[in-house]
Amino acid sequence: MANIAEARIKREFKEVVKSEEVAKCHIKVELVNDTFTELRGEIAGPPDTPYEGGNFILEIKIPDTYPFNPPKVKFVTKIWHPNISSVTGAICLDILKDQWAAAMTLRTVLLSLQALLAAAEPDDPQDAVVAKQYKENPKIFQDTAKHWTHVYAGGPNRTPELDAKVAQLSGMGFDANKVRVALSSHSWDAERATEYLIS
Amino acid sequence: MSEEMKSQDSDNDSELEESDHMDDDDDYGGYYDNDTGDLDIDKPKKSDDPEYFEYELLEIEDVERFLNEEVEVLHSTLQIQPGLAKMLLLAHGWRKDYIIDRCKKEPDRLLIDSRLMPERKVTEQIFGNSAICSVCLLRRPQDYFYSLSCGHSFCGECWDEFCQVRIQQGVTTGIECMAKDCNILVPEDFLCSVMQKPELRDRYSQLSFSDHVKSHPDLRFCPGANCPIIVRAPVCKAKKVECSRCKTTFCFKCGIEYHAPTDCDVIKKWLTKCADDSETANYISAHTKDCPKCHVCIEKNGGCNHMQCSKCKYDFCWMCLGDWKTHGSEYYECSRYKENPNIANESVHAQAREALKKYLFYFERWENHAKSLQLEEQTLHKITSRIHEKVMNNTGTWIDWQYLLDAAHLLKKCRYTLQYTYPYAYYMEKSARKQLFEYQQAQLEAEVENLSWKVERAEITDRGDLENQMDIAEKRRQTLLKDFLEF
Ligand SMILES: [Zn+2]
Ligand SMILES: [Zn+2]
Ligand SMILES: [Zn+2]
Ligand SMILES: [Zn+2]
Ligand SMILES: [Zn+2]
Repeated sequence: MANIAEARIKREFKEVVKSEEVAKCHIKVELVNDTFTELRGEIAGPPDTPYEGGNFILEIKIPDTYPFNPPKVKFVTKIWHPNISSVTGAICLDILKDQWAAAMTLRTVLLSLQALLAAAEPDDPQDAVVAKQYKENPKIFQDTAKHWTHVYAGGPNRTPELDAKVAQLSGMGFDANKVRVALSSHSWDAERATEYLIS
Repeated sequence: MSEEMKSQDSDNDSELEESDHMDDDDDYGGYYDNDTGDLDIDKPKKSDDPEYFEYELLEIEDVERFLNEEVEVLHSTLQIQPGLAKMLLLAHGWRKDYIIDRCKKEPDRLLIDSRLMPERKVTEQIFGNSAICSVCLLRRPQDYFYSLSCGHSFCGECWDEFCQVRIQQGVTTGIECMAKDCNILVPEDFLCSVMQKPELRDRYSQLSFSDHVKSHPDLRFCPGANCPIIVRAPVCKAKKVECSRCKTTFCFKCGIEYHAPTDCDVIKKWLTKCADDSETANYISAHTKDCPKCHVCIEKNGGCNHMQCSKCKYDFCWMCLGDWKTHGSEYYECSRYKENPNIANESVHAQAREALKKYLFYFERWENHAKSLQLEEQTLHKITSRIHEKVMNNTGTWIDWQYLLDAAHLLKKCRYTLQYTYPYAYYMEKSARKQLFEYQQAQLEAEVENLSWKVERAEITDRGDLENQMDIAEKRRQTLLKDFLEF
């Protein structure tokens, strides 16, 4: 790891990441090992969103050329969001690509991701299926996102109706995660979801 | 391309439109009646050769000199630093007059638009004799800090490392300030002042030279592999350029293979489509077909589409398997796609099928001519070695047999153009103009196949007959280009 990258991450830990402001916003960064190349981030779902109460884990990889190039970040926790892949957790966010600037920090990244959870940008989607639902069927989107938050991110808000549908199809012998994806992608239409699972 | 050039082009468009030979179909017959003149005498003059294009092939040093002269003009006219002049030229496609004009009227706006000056300058005050650099987060003495015109200050070490990383990533003329949401460009002299290691300077020069060439409307890198030649032409047009160094031919405007009469956008669309649909079209690639009469399997080994069954001697067309007799003369139907006239009333499914059928029709012909071209390349080699043999056996000199080689070369040229008429026709709206195009395409196709037939049998073909066929084929090609290639 290049000198500047390592020195910078160490300093970020000391001065930025552990600041009180960071604790207040419920964002967190931890070391995974002692090389500073791989970190674990955590953000709390913002209030008044379907992600409220959830705790989302992020995988952060620091490139050799950090901070001149952005860190590579993706969601480890499964999440239903137009700009985040429901399959891989890959994120579509400008500051993680061409809008990155060397003067930004991990704190900027985590706060930006939290802001992204509060305000999606469906016109620049990462997950086309989710983005389409977000635009065309906001109610179903809200419920689905809430359901995923409860199941995967420990959110307190239950969606009993959706839980029941997942349980019903899982009872037929399908994997619960796959059932959830199938139902979520097909507006919770059990028949179409089953068709999708079989094909 | 500058505004003036654009309007010139569109003028030409309308001229072309006006000069359309939109007479009745009946007139086509007499079109070429007088075309029996000698090839040399009738060689197209510069002014009426639709493919004529003025250009020069330059070495890197020539181009460096040329670009420096451009910079010098701005430097002396506006009294600005050469480095600044170069950045302005790069930002505005080397339009000197435009830059000079704007610089006199609204110099600040010009600099802002060129990302050389910020809308608002930040005043980051450094209190005391040291400050924290927001990139490395280290406390640095005050005189360690550098900033661009925007005022965002960072320590020299960070600037140094940053510039190195960018150059290694291949970015040079586009390196921006390190601050968030700031897109002010890093000038070369600033970069040189912060970069401690000189190793990357050469790489910077190479890469930025390439950016300058690419941004210049009159210059084009030769696309040949590892070829250092740069082509310069006074106007940016979709015309053929041939590199004398690596023998690559290409379109000056878009830099890919030459594609007359199809234009740059259309050929790109076509090539993308072909790549996307390659699966569907794969079944065509077979090199063998059955004779339509006696069903013996026939392998195509020459470029000519006029096939003769080795067994029953039936003459047929490789493309449509129709009787060749109906192709050779009167009305060559094989190149024209017959659209279903009722297609608008058909179901979506049928329309999709029809669309695929139409595409395959054109693709098959496009692909077939490409293959024929490859086979004719082999014919060319064969002829060359045959001539060599003859000369060695004292049956004539190279000069005596040169016409065979000329014929093979001309055949390649004509078939090449013919190949590129298919994407053109595919994207053409149904119209009288399309009718004319298809008529001329059919004429060209017929004569190309006739020429191909004769070239493959060159040694038993009368020289006069062959040369006459060459003449006719080239005339057909010229006529089509004259009517349909944008001047
Ligand atoms: Zn620094
Ligand atoms: Zn700046
Ligand atoms: Zn070349
Ligand atoms: Zn072109
Ligand atoms: Zn036969």
